[in-house]
Amino acid sequence: MATKASRSAARVMIAPSVLLLLGWMLIPLALTLYFSVLRYNLLMPGANPFVGVENYTYFLTDPAFTDAIINTLLLVGGVLTITVLGGIALAILLDQPMWGQGIVRILVIAPFFVMPTVSALVWKNMFMNPVNGLFAYLAKAIGMQPFDFFAAAPLASIIGIVSWQWLPFATLILLTAMQSLDSEQLEAAEMDGAGPLARFRHIMLPHMARAITVVILIQTIFLLSIFAEILVTTNGGPGTASTNLTFLVYAESLLRFDVGTGSAGGVVAIILANIVAIFLMRMIGKNLDT
Amino acid sequence: MGRIALHGVTKNFGDTEVIRPLDLEIEDGEFVVFVGPSGCGKSTLLRLIAGLEDVTAGRIEIDGTDATGVPPAKRGLAMVFQSYALYPHMSVRKNIAFPMRMAGIDKVEQNRRIDAAAAALNLTDYLDRRPGQLSGGQRQRVAIGRAIVREPAAFLFDEPLSNLDAALRVGMRMEISELHTRLKTTMVYVTHDQVEAMTMADKIVVLQDGVIEQVGSPLDLYREPRNLFVAGFIGSPKMNLMTGDEAVRRGATTFGIRPEHIIASPSEGLWQGTVGVSEHLGSDTFFHVHMKDHPAPITVRAGGEVSLHHGDTIYLTPDETRIHRFDVQGMRLT
Ligand SMILES: Nc1ncnc2c1ncn2[C@@H]1O[C@H](COP(=O)(O)OP(=O)(O)OP(=O)(O)O)[C@@H](O)[C@H]1O
Ligand SMILES: [Mg+2]
Repeated sequence: MATKASRSAARVMIAPSVLLLLGWMLIPLALTLYFSVLRYNLLMPGANPFVGVENYTYFLTDPAFTDAIINTLLLVGGVLTITVLGGIALAILLDQPMWGQGIVRILVIAPFFVMPTVSALVWKNMFMNPVNGLFAYLAKAIGMQPFDFFAAAPLASIIGIVSWQWLPFATLILLTAMQSLDSEQLEAAEMDGAGPLARFRHIMLPHMARAITVVILIQTIFLLSIFAEILVTTNGGPGTASTNLTFLVYAESLLRFDVGTGSAGGVVAIILANIVAIFLMRMIGKNLDT
Repeated sequence: MGRIALHGVTKNFGDTEVIRPLDLEIEDGEFVVFVGPSGCGKSTLLRLIAGLEDVTAGRIEIDGTDATGVPPAKRGLAMVFQSYALYPHMSVRKNIAFPMRMAGIDKVEQNRRIDAAAAALNLTDYLDRRPGQLSGGQRQRVAIGRAIVREPAAFLFDEPLSNLDAALRVGMRMEISELHTRLKTTMVYVTHDQVEAMTMADKIVVLQDGVIEQVGSPLDLYREPRNLFVAGFIGSPKMNLMTGDEAVRRGATTFGIRPEHIIASPSEGLWQGTVGVSEHLGSDTFFHVHMKDHPAPITVRAGGEVSLHHGDTIYLTPDETRIHRFDVQGMRLT
């Protein structure tokens, strides 16, 4: 692709897909922006007058909004903490030579292939159900009161489920990082007098830093928009105890048929996600340079 | 102090016996080179001494005390790896400081030793760089620096120069030899390059298939190779080995003569042959001479300016006082 002719030919060739992608992104975004400044409720058909920032004011001053922000941050932070720490531990374990390594690795990766709705339902009905669930059964077996997960600790339960889903991803990425660590480096450190902990701290962890950064960035993007798990388990409740931003937008626009406020919420969510992304990039993006 | 002794040491990987029962004494302050063809177990032997591999049987003594079960860090040995094994995320200074940091040596002493090592190894200007920003030779020096600051009882080198280009290799060879004369610390050095072995060693250990073929000073090995393998391995170019009438006449199954112990002449001599390939090095010329009743060409060293060309007739006379005779088993006859 060196000559001028071939370069402009290439530009013409990829133009359709670029335009398609652009339209794909821009049209919904433009529509969302447009709806967010209209009074537009599906239960009140008729004119959709322009109302300026009214929808935004309404969405941002809603007490549920603060709750949703806090819940979103707790959800993302909690899941990131669990998956990164667990992923590091599992990656180091799976990197050890052991019997049945292949099968164990496949088993560890498996949860990633289960659809979010399905896994949430499985957890809800088979494990965490206070009457029929496995945990309730175990609790009863040792003579304890069954714990009603989704009523007593809804957000924590959802964090648990989502962590279970994302742990394989973190493990997989970190395991590949571990495997690319030169064993002579570990041996050199061993000869230099570094014990297992010091080897982890000074050799393995810095080696994995970049992979950890990637895990955090990718997961944050997906975790900000967790939805299915909340919908099928708690429906955002009790009250707003497990409502995150995505779910709040859904509740506004679809449960109350208020397209205007929903759109405003969507725009707010986009802005917040970008703030988080910039913040993350600033904080850990420098790991990617070195 | 750095006296290392191996008694009946063996090593198996699964069913394969990589090191056969082996005894070896390394004296304090000696420069010992393990040399042998690829896969003969040199690295394995070094790693056994370092403690990075467990012996299958036998005993390793360091300074007279049993070190067989002692973990690597406690043996007081420092190792320089073939891949250098520098810590890529640490600066050169931190790399060199790492073993001292692990040993809990105080900062002032750390800096004193780092500066001394850096000065000795010409690294002072690079202390704040990362290993990725250094050339191969500089990385090698950092690895050596990291070994020196520990003030170990012995240094272990595993083919440290094999990643360097020829010129740099000669330079680093000198530097390591110089380091040895200065520090007077025991050094165990693995290489498959017999020139490195000959130039650096006080004592060479020739290995083949996990067995020690011969131990001795470079000149011992050159003058009196114990068997055919050592005879063929030590010396460059290789010793000429002949069987048949010429050998029988000298009372041996095989006899050997080094290229530098044959007199070449265009007019007269014991053997007659034709010149094949010739290698002109300036100072020396090596002729590959084809003889009628001998399949492999005979290598001969002649002065730099001997003018013989491909296809010319050449006469060779071996120096009968410098021939090597071997019996049916390939062992040296005296
Ligand atoms: N971890 C291991 N598992 C099984 N076999 C091994 C292992 N390490 C080495 N070997 C085998 O042991 C033999 C000796 O290996 P070693 O690395 O000591 O050779 P070497 O003399 O250092 O060769 P080179 O000059 O190529 O480095 C080889 O045949 C090798 O295949
Ligand atoms: Mg080796």
